[in-house]
Amino acid sequence: MSNQLPDGYAVLEPFVDYWAVSGTANRDQRRSDSTPAQRNAFYAIAKDLVPQALAQLDAKPIAELDDKERRLLDLLLSFTHVTHAVEMLTDGEARHAKFRKEMRITRQPAE
Amino acid sequence: MNEHTPIYTAPEEQVAWMGTDPIPAKAYYDPEWFELERRAIFMRTWLEVGHVCELPEPGTWIRRELEFAQASILIVRGKDGQIRAFYNACTHRGTQLVEEESGKGTNFLCPYHFWNFGDDGRLVAAPDFNRFALTKEDCKIPKVSVDTCAGLIFVNLDPAPKQTLREFLGDFADRLETLPVARATTFHEYCYDIDANWKITYDNFQENYHLRHVHGRTGIATVHADNLYGYPTGYTFHGKHRTQTIWSNPEPQIKPMQGYNFGLAAKIGMEQGIIGGPEDRTYFAVFPSLFIIGTPIQHFSHKVYPISATRSRGVFRVYWIGEGDTATKRYAREYALAGIRDIHTEDVNIINRAQKGLLSGAIKNVHFMSMEGLCRHLYQQVVAEVEAYRNESQPAGERA
Repeated sequence: MSNQLPDGYAVLEPFVDYWAVSGTANRDQRRSDSTPAQRNAFYAIAKDLVPQALAQLDAKPIAELDDKERRLLDLLLSFTHVTHAVEMLTDGEARHAKFRKEMRITRQPAE
Repeated sequence: MNEHTPIYTAPEEQVAWMGTDPIPAKAYYDPEWFELERRAIFMRTWLEVGHVCELPEPGTWIRRELEFAQASILIVRGKDGQIRAFYNACTHRGTQLVEEESGKGTNFLCPYHFWNFGDDGRLVAAPDFNRFALTKEDCKIPKVSVDTCAGLIFVNLDPAPKQTLREFLGDFADRLETLPVARATTFHEYCYDIDANWKITYDNFQENYHLRHVHGRTGIATVHADNLYGYPTGYTFHGKHRTQTIWSNPEPQIKPMQGYNFGLAAKIGMEQGIIGGPEDRTYFAVFPSLFIIGTPIQHFSHKVYPISATRSRGVFRVYWIGEGDTATKRYAREYALAGIRDIHTEDVNIINRAQKGLLSGAIKNVHFMSMEGLCRHLYQQVVAEVEAYRNESQPAGERA
C-alpha cells in the first residue's frame, strides 16, 4: 500500500505496515519479532529523515495530527526501539529480546 | 614522556568503616531469615507504593497488592483532597471490595452483601443493618498510615508507626523534593518477577562492578580507561539510607542517533528546568528497597517487593513532566524509555543466575569488595533491624 505517509516520505512507505503501530509495548514487540535485515534496512533509510519529520510533526499538537502524520509519528516511535537494537545491541539483539519479554511494560502514558 | 594523570579516583575511603567481613549466604535464601526480615522491616517500615499523579483529583483511587503481607490496600484521594489508605476488605466478612487496579468514585460497595463504605473507610450504609449487634462506627475499615514526599506515596503497615515519613527519610526528604519526580504528571512502568531474594535483586542495582560485563553493549558510554567499571565518584550514608554519585564519563563513546536523541531530551529538559539540579548525579537508595535516580533524562524509580525468601518483584517507573504533546517530546521519551529498559533487562537475567548458584547451600559466604560497599551497608542495616526486632519480641527480662 502506498501514500500512507505525508508527502516527502515515500522512501519510508515499505516500513509502514510492519513498524507503524501504536503503543510502546507493541513497538517493542515488533522490535523483538523483527529480523536483523528488517531492522538494519529501516535504520539505514529512516535515520536521516528523523530531524525533518519531527520538525514537520511538531508544527501541530499531537491531537491534531491527521492519519498520515500520525502514521509517520508511529513509525518514528518504532524507530527509537530499532535504534537501540542496531546501534547498541548489534549482534546481541536476539539474545536480549529473549530476556526483554520478561520485563513487562505495564503502563504507557500515551499511544 | 608525559605521565598520565587519571581522571577518576575510587572513593574507597568512604566505605572502609563498614569493614570487609564475608556475608553469610544464608541471608539470601533462608526462609526463616526472610520471615524475620518481613516482620522486622517490611511490616513496619515506610514503603513507596505509588505517585500522586495516579490520584489526580478527588475521588480517584488505586489498589496496591503487598504480597509479603497478603494485604490489598486502597489508596484514595478523598472529596477533601486528602490521601488516605485502608485495607481493601469489607468489615462484614472480609470480602475484597474492588478488583480493579484503579478507579474513580467516592464510595466502595462490597459486592457480597452491599455494605457501602465512604472514601475514608467509614461504613455509610448496609442492608438490614439493625440485625447486627454493631454500630456503623464499629465497622470502619482498618486504616493504613500513608504520607507523601516528592510526589511519591508511602504506606506503613505498622498500626502505630514509630516514625513519621519525614523522620524516616531524614535529610533525604528535602533532597527528593528537588527531583523531577516531585513534579511528575505521568510515567511509563515496567515490571519483572524474579526467582531471587529481594536483597540479591536490589544489590545488583547498587554496585557498578558488573557494568562492564553485563552491560558491555548498552552501557558502553560509561566505560573509560581510567574507570573501566563506571564506579561512582562518591558514597554517602544517612542512617538506613545511602547514596552514590554517578560518574560522568568525559569521553563517552556515543552512537550517531544516540547522540542526536539525547540531545533532543536534553533540550526538552532545559526548557522544563530539570537539567542542572543539585541531585542530577545522585542515586538515592531508600531503605529497604527503593531506588530513585536524580538523572533528569531517564528519571526512574525502582522498587523491589519481597515475595518469599527466593522470589521478588521489581517495578520500574520512568517519570515525565507534562504530557508528551509534541512529536519530539514523545520521540525523546520513547527512546529514553526503551534504552533504560534495555539495561534493566540485562540486570534481571544475571540476577536470576546469582540466586540459583546459592540455593544448594554449598556457598557459605558472599563477598563484597570496597566498591560494593552499598550492598554491605544494606546487609548491615537489615541485620540491625532484625536484631532490634528480636530484642523487642523477647520478654523484658531476657532482652539483650
